[in-house]
Formats: sequence, C-alpha cells, structure tokens
Amino acid sequence: MSMTMRRALAILAKWYSAPLLLVLWQIAVSSGLVTSRLLPSLNLVWNAAIVDVGNGILIHHAGVTVARAVTGFALAVVVGVPLGAAMARVVLLGRLFEPFFFLGYPVPKIALFPVFIFIFGFGSPSKIAFTFLECLYPIVVMTYLGVRGIQTRLIWTAQNMGADRLTILRRVITPAVLPGIFAGMRIALPLAIVVVVVTEMIGDTQGLGYYITIWSTRFRYANVYAGILAIGLIGFVLDQMLTWWRGTVIRWEQERSRL
Amino acid sequence: MIDRATLEKSILPLAAVIAWELAGRAGWLPIYLSRPSAIAAALVEAATSGELLRALAASLLRAYVGFALGAGFGVLAGLGAGMTAAVRHFFDPLVSFLYPVPKIAFLSVFLLLFGLGNGSQIGIITVAVFFPVYIAARHAVLSVNPLFVWSGRNMGAGRATVFRRVVLPAAMPQLFSGLRIGLAHTFVILFAAELIGARNGLGYMLVEGEEALRFDIMFAAITSFAVIGFASDRVLMAVRRKVLRGQIIGTQEEMP
Repeated sequence: MSMTMRRALAILAKWYSAPLLLVLWQIAVSSGLVTSRLLPSLNLVWNAAIVDVGNGILIHHAGVTVARAVTGFALAVVVGVPLGAAMARVVLLGRLFEPFFFLGYPVPKIALFPVFIFIFGFGSPSKIAFTFLECLYPIVVMTYLGVRGIQTRLIWTAQNMGADRLTILRRVITPAVLPGIFAGMRIALPLAIVVVVVTEMIGDTQGLGYYITIWSTRFRYANVYAGILAIGLIGFVLDQMLTWWRGTVIRWEQERSRL
Repeated sequence: MIDRATLEKSILPLAAVIAWELAGRAGWLPIYLSRPSAIAAALVEAATSGELLRALAASLLRAYVGFALGAGFGVLAGLGAGMTAAVRHFFDPLVSFLYPVPKIAFLSVFLLLFGLGNGSQIGIITVAVFFPVYIAARHAVLSVNPLFVWSGRNMGAGRATVFRRVVLPAAMPQLFSGLRIGLAHTFVILFAAELIGARNGLGYMLVEGEEALRFDIMFAAITSFAVIGFASDRVLMAVRRKVLRGQIIGTQEEMP
C-alpha cells in the first residue's frame, strides 16, 4: 500500500463518523424511512441556508449576534483583567470582591436576565450587559488565580537584578499571567455566544436566537438547522481567532502545545 | 469572634442588601425592583401555600434526571473513548463539530419530539451535559501517566483490574471538573427551557409572577433558582471531596 493511501485511510478512520452521520441522515430522509418535518433533507437545509445568505437575512441576524457577543466579551476582558489582577495584589480589594466572584460563580446568573430586561430594555443593551456579567466571572477568577499563582522567587530574582516595579510588571508578571488570562477568555468566549443566543430566544426581534425561534414556530426546520449551522460556524471561527491570537502573544508556549 | 478578614468579606454584600432595602423604602426604586424584605415575604408566602415546593420539585426533577442521564452517557462514552481508539474515532469528530453549538438551539426540535412536558426539558439537559462530561472523561483517561499503567500490568494486573484500580482513580479529578461544568450547564439550560416552554417549575413561576406584576414573586423564583444552583454545586463538591480524599492530601485544597 502506498504512503498516500495509508495516510488517506488513517484520516478516514479518524474522521469517518461526521460524514457517516450526514450520509445516514440523507439516506433516512430520501428513502422515506423518516418522514418528518423535524428532519428535512440536507439538500433542503443547504438550500435554506443559501437563500437566506443570498438575501442577507441570515447575514444580518448573524451580524447582530456576533456584535453583541463580541462587545460583551470585550467589555468583560477590559474590566475583568485589571479587576482580577488588583484583587490578587491588594488584600482589601481581594476581600471585598471575593464573595461576589467565588460564591457567585456557581449561581446560575441567567435567572437575573428578566431583571436586565427591565433595566436595559429588550434590545441589544440588556444582552450586552448580561453577556458582560457572564463573561466577567471566568475572566476575573482565572486572572486572579494566575496572579496569585506567580512564584515569588521570579519576582525576587528580578528585584535582585535591579528591576523597578514597572519593569517587573511588564517583563515578569504579565508574561506569567497571560496563559491564565487566555484560559479565562477561552472559557468566556463560547459562553458569550451561548448567552447571547439563549437571551435572544427568550425575547428579541433580531439575532440568530430569534431567527431559530421564529422559524421553529412556523415549523420550517430547514431554516432552523441553517441557523444552528451558522451558530456552530461562528463559535468555531471565533475560537480559532482566539487561539491564533494566543499563539502570537504567548509565542514561548507554542513548542509545548504542538506536541 | 469575628476576625477582620470575614468582616471585610461581608461588607460589600451586606451594604448592597441594606442600600437596596433603604432605597426601596424611600421609593427611589422602579416598581419592578422589589425590596429584599418583600422578596423574603413572598418566599415565605409561596412556601406556606405549597406553590414554591411544587415548583421546586418540578424543576429539580428535570435538572437532576437530565444531569444524571447526560453525565452517565458522557462518562461511559468518554471512558470508552479514552480506552479504545475505535470509540474515540467515532465520537471525537461529532463532539468537535457539535460542542460549540449552544444546545438550547435544539430546544424547538425537542419540543416537537417530546411535547411541552418533562421529556423535552430532560432531553435537552441530557444533550447539554453530555458534551463537557465526555470531553473531560476522554482527556482524563488519555492523560493518565502511562508509567502507572505499565507498573500495574507488570505486577500482573489484567486489563479490567488496571482500569478499575489505576485508570479510574487517576482520571477522577478531571472527571469531576467535567461534571461541575455539566452541572452549571444544567441550570442555564433548565432556566431557558422553562421560560420558553413549560407549564410548571420555577421558570414558570417567574413568568407567572412577572405577568401578574407580582415582582416579589418573580424575585422569589429568581432567588430560589440561584439557591438550588449554588446548593447543587456545593453537594457535588462535597461528593468530590469524599471521593478524592486521598488525592487532595498535600495540595492547596487541604488547607482550610
């Protein structure tokens, strides 16, 4: 057997299940085994996606969802990283905010969303504010733990070599904390998408959550699956972008992660 | 004796509740922000009328049955994937494609399949819990130090014994992180599912309170929801400490 064939077989053995499922889906629908509006053929899903991308409807709703998720996420990073670092360095700040973040972490914050609707209204502001709150938790906690976890001997060594406070912050603390910050962001980003979609499903007139809800109430499941597909694609692309960003910022860890 | 640290830790939460109560009494708050004392009164009222208990029972049943099913399937598939390449190659592509999709997006499909009853909510929770538990269990088994496995084999242990006595205990800590994430997902999904389509439970009680402009009842439901989420996490962590008591010795966690 040639090398390329063997490699192709290895790839097939590793990835066969996703295409297999799609083929089974298509066979089940086209053979008439399953005749349900719940399971439209892949063709129909694809056509629905093409039509709604073509007339801009899907693009519009996807754009709204992405803008909300990214805005809330970015606000949480801008506020959460300095707050987490300050909580770790200043004892009083740590004690003031610790119960809020550590006891509040397992509380399902989605329960507060109706209050957000009352305060911020139905549209984007309530979704962005709520996404901000949800993303704030992992980012603050991971930054806090990262700063707390810095080995003091690293700081002592730098001090010993005559580095001033600013240099220590820039050259010692920041590189040591970056992996923790990125771990927090990696947890927060998918959370942002989930939260935006869920809140859009609860009540809105725009966004992919609304798109899915409105088509499912009209029993047009080809469009529902097209919406689900779009959400999956957005989650995948955003996660890849974050991973790429992490690679350019934390260059020194690349060798290890490629193993 | 209250020490300084506890005092400082309780300043902000206490101040927030007191300020909220005072602002409410002064009439500065909009009507939809009930005072803490009014919320407590609504909680007592709902508890004595039995309404709260019925809603709690309905919500907890869905949450725990869904979580148990999802965690069971996730652990089984994840351990299988960790042990056997064939299982791993079947689940891995599916999980990596479906994991980033918010499972709540499938709610409408489940609603049509199972109707407005418990089935659709339990089904969607099962699916949502499966993914983080599967990923944690799979990675946990694969990251077990091969030296341990080799040592076990060398001492004459069979595959089953190695799995039970070496792999499983070594995988436990990561497995519990997966379960904890799954539990958090459980309550987010449960809440959204109950708001969108349910005829009882805490989510329904919340909607009812909101529509009747009884915002104290709405907040009572929100508070109960937060409490069951928090308490369930604490229970899981207590179980974890019991199961992992050998592995916690000598780590930061052992310190009070």
